[in-house]
Amino acid sequence: MKKILVLIFFTLMLLTTACGSDSSDDKLKVMLGSNIVSLDTAQATDVASFEMISNCIDGLMQLDSNGKPIPAIAESFDVSEDGKTYTFHLRDAKWTNGDDVTAEDFVFAWRRHCQKAEEYAYIFGSTVACVKNADDVIKGADPSILGVSAPDSKTLIVELDAPVPFFPSLMSFPTFYPINEKFYSALENGTYGTSPETFLANGAFSLSSYVPGAANIQLKKNDSYWNAAKVSVNDLQYQVVSSSDNALTAFKNGSLNVVEISGNQVEHVKQNAELSQNLQIVPTGLLQYISFNQDPKNNHAGALANANLRLAISNAIDRESLVDNYVMDGSQATYTAIPRHFAPNVKTGKYFAEDQKQFADYVSFNVDKAREYLDKAKKELGKDNFQFYVIYANDGGDTVVKVVQAIKSQVEENLPGVTLNLQPMPKAEYLDRLTKNSYDIAVTNWTPDYDDPMTFLTLWTTEGCVIAEHWSNADYDRIIADCTTGALAADYDARWNAMYNAEKILLENAVIAPLYTGSNAMLISNNVSGIDFHSAGVNRVFKSAAVK
Amino acid sequence: MAKYITKRILMSILTLFLIIFVLFVLIRIMPGNPFPVERMSAEMILQKRAELGLDNPILVQFADYMSILLSGSFGNGTSLYNGAPIKPILLTCLENSFKIGVLAIFFGTAAGLFIGITAALHRGKFLDGFCTVLSILGVCIPSYVFMIFLQYFFSYKIPFFPYFFDPSQFIFSSIMPSLSLSLLSVSVIARFTRNEMVEVMNSDYVKLAESKGIYGFQLMRTHVLRNALIPVVTVIAPLVVDLLTGAMVIEKIYGINGVGKLMVDAIAGEGIDYNYVLALGIVFSALYIGAMLILDILYGIIDPRIRLAAKEN
Repeated sequence: MKKILVLIFFTLMLLTTACGSDSSDDKLKVMLGSNIVSLDTAQATDVASFEMISNCIDGLMQLDSNGKPIPAIAESFDVSEDGKTYTFHLRDAKWTNGDDVTAEDFVFAWRRHCQKAEEYAYIFGSTVACVKNADDVIKGADPSILGVSAPDSKTLIVELDAPVPFFPSLMSFPTFYPINEKFYSALENGTYGTSPETFLANGAFSLSSYVPGAANIQLKKNDSYWNAAKVSVNDLQYQVVSSSDNALTAFKNGSLNVVEISGNQVEHVKQNAELSQNLQIVPTGLLQYISFNQDPKNNHAGALANANLRLAISNAIDRESLVDNYVMDGSQATYTAIPRHFAPNVKTGKYFAEDQKQFADYVSFNVDKAREYLDKAKKELGKDNFQFYVIYANDGGDTVVKVVQAIKSQVEENLPGVTLNLQPMPKAEYLDRLTKNSYDIAVTNWTPDYDDPMTFLTLWTTEGCVIAEHWSNADYDRIIADCTTGALAADYDARWNAMYNAEKILLENAVIAPLYTGSNAMLISNNVSGIDFHSAGVNRVFKSAAVK
Repeated sequence: MAKYITKRILMSILTLFLIIFVLFVLIRIMPGNPFPVERMSAEMILQKRAELGLDNPILVQFADYMSILLSGSFGNGTSLYNGAPIKPILLTCLENSFKIGVLAIFFGTAAGLFIGITAALHRGKFLDGFCTVLSILGVCIPSYVFMIFLQYFFSYKIPFFPYFFDPSQFIFSSIMPSLSLSLLSVSVIARFTRNEMVEVMNSDYVKLAESKGIYGFQLMRTHVLRNALIPVVTVIAPLVVDLLTGAMVIEKIYGINGVGKLMVDAIAGEGIDYNYVLALGIVFSALYIGAMLILDILYGIIDPRIRLAAKEN
């Protein structure tokens, strides 16, 4: 018996030694809130995938710690006088297989992306990047007509249909990253980016361990990276953690250096003297808002075509109470259609939505005003009672569930005669209901793809996106067209002011009711520094991170 | 017996075919698109649906899918992981779940039989009561709660096991999830073993054997366990499949790249990946049907009465 016990003891000792954590200083262990869906730039649609791609691949430009575009693979660029032609001069950079990164790699990736017409192909089109002929290629035209060309391997010329003031910043978004054509073409269809062997990096890190769906992803420093001298982390390890309780415990025991916690846990962390030093509230560009379906053909929503009824609901919501009592992660109540801490003016440095009181006449918490609007709506519609179905996706955590329940209770209490019936559902079904016009009110959100108010304002044009409010306003559409492809596109100040006018039309009609701007409550180990956070595009960048 | 087995195999194939058809139709009528649509225009959505063949009549789509299946593949994903071929990804996940499942079966069966036999041999005494309480606890506590408990004590308070699953130390980091997964099977097997053994030990033929002077281990092996284990095997078979096909919550909590987690990933995204859901549904069904088939054959081997009945038929 004694022998057996001794044997067990030694076996356990051996196993413990084997599992002992590596105390190497240059290893960074980071929580990933969700799985990586795809490492293919043409198919990535989620935060986790974009982050992972940007760790491994550099695009033409990158963002510095203040969110300003600085050169990456492009050493420099020239813009034509009319702002419609960009010429990027590429630096000497290598893929991990030793090939040079060339202008043709960009041409190949961009053409392929537009041809595949996946979710993010829209970003090449006339509402965002305005790359010449992108809309036609997305609809099936020959990809060779796309306005991108490579006169030589180090020069990339991009032709635009209209000047795009934020174009250099847009080039830091993973959708515009290059793919090595020779490497890609040698792979079996659909296998690109499904393992370290089928993925090529030219960025700060390369994949060392990854299989699709893996909860544990390991990256290592790419020694052939053009800026390798500035990268100090040797091993970047990701762990997919779906529960914030798990994340907090893993942070406490040192299994992870960077985690995201939920609003509920922020209070607990603040009360802990040691942990509170690690807490960092990182504002994001996410806007949580209420979308009203105004289609008169829709049975319930018909009433929501009445602006006074929408204004009544918007003014009956106490946004401060929502963020203080239910969200609690540092998110901020928002009274504009553009989130706070997002899209700074390049001349003044002020955020677009810095003045939160500019639309106070239409968006505020004022029960008396809300009831006045309601009375007007009752007269106009000849009805005293209104009942609406509120749909929302409940698979993204319990914060939204609590927020929607609070909205229901506030609206029903402040607006007698208005009843909200809650319909939680999985995100896929929720999106289906939105596309099929089968909803009255949706509590939804939007995360910006690029650092410009237009990433939000284009949502509410007549063409709009999948979240269709069935609202159409010729003045609004005209302003957006002027600012994207029209006369104002090249005039920075005039465009900026016109976007405020568009926002005013939106909010005085209460097309949406903004709720709050999101934040991430992060815990970061004391010995970790240099992580860049951005409110648009790729939210976390680890190129400059250091572990002391 | 051969005829009986052939008939059972044919019935199993037919059942599987029907399941595939029903699954296929259900997935097609489910709300949602098989790819993310949030940033797509209505036109782009239609274009993409046409590309995936979702415009065709459902029977045509089914025929296409069956031809892919019969060629030995599960096709490509509709949105997950670049639309890569499903088979290698599914096999990797199955392998991970299988390995952990096998460990769980080992723990579950060993502990379950031990507790059950101990309880039966000490029927009516303290140990019997203790074992019953243990098995009731095992049924009542969900395996993921037990998993969180183990993780808290043996990874956080006493940092012995890794906090998350580490593929580079597969067996070592499989111990906690396997133990948690085995909890239910320990209880079920222990309860069944105990009850069956008590029943068999009270039966006339055991009493007769005792009166003929057969006692102890020989009596247990030849007369009690052999008869008592038949119903236990019935319980073990579906449990085995349950354990092998993974546990969604445990795989999610511990970060195991198994089939349970794959199913959640296929369903929970912005788009429901039809082909992954189908492939997993087919694999799970085939495993259940296969397990039940093996069970029927095992019955024949363990219980001579079934063999005889088959012969008479």
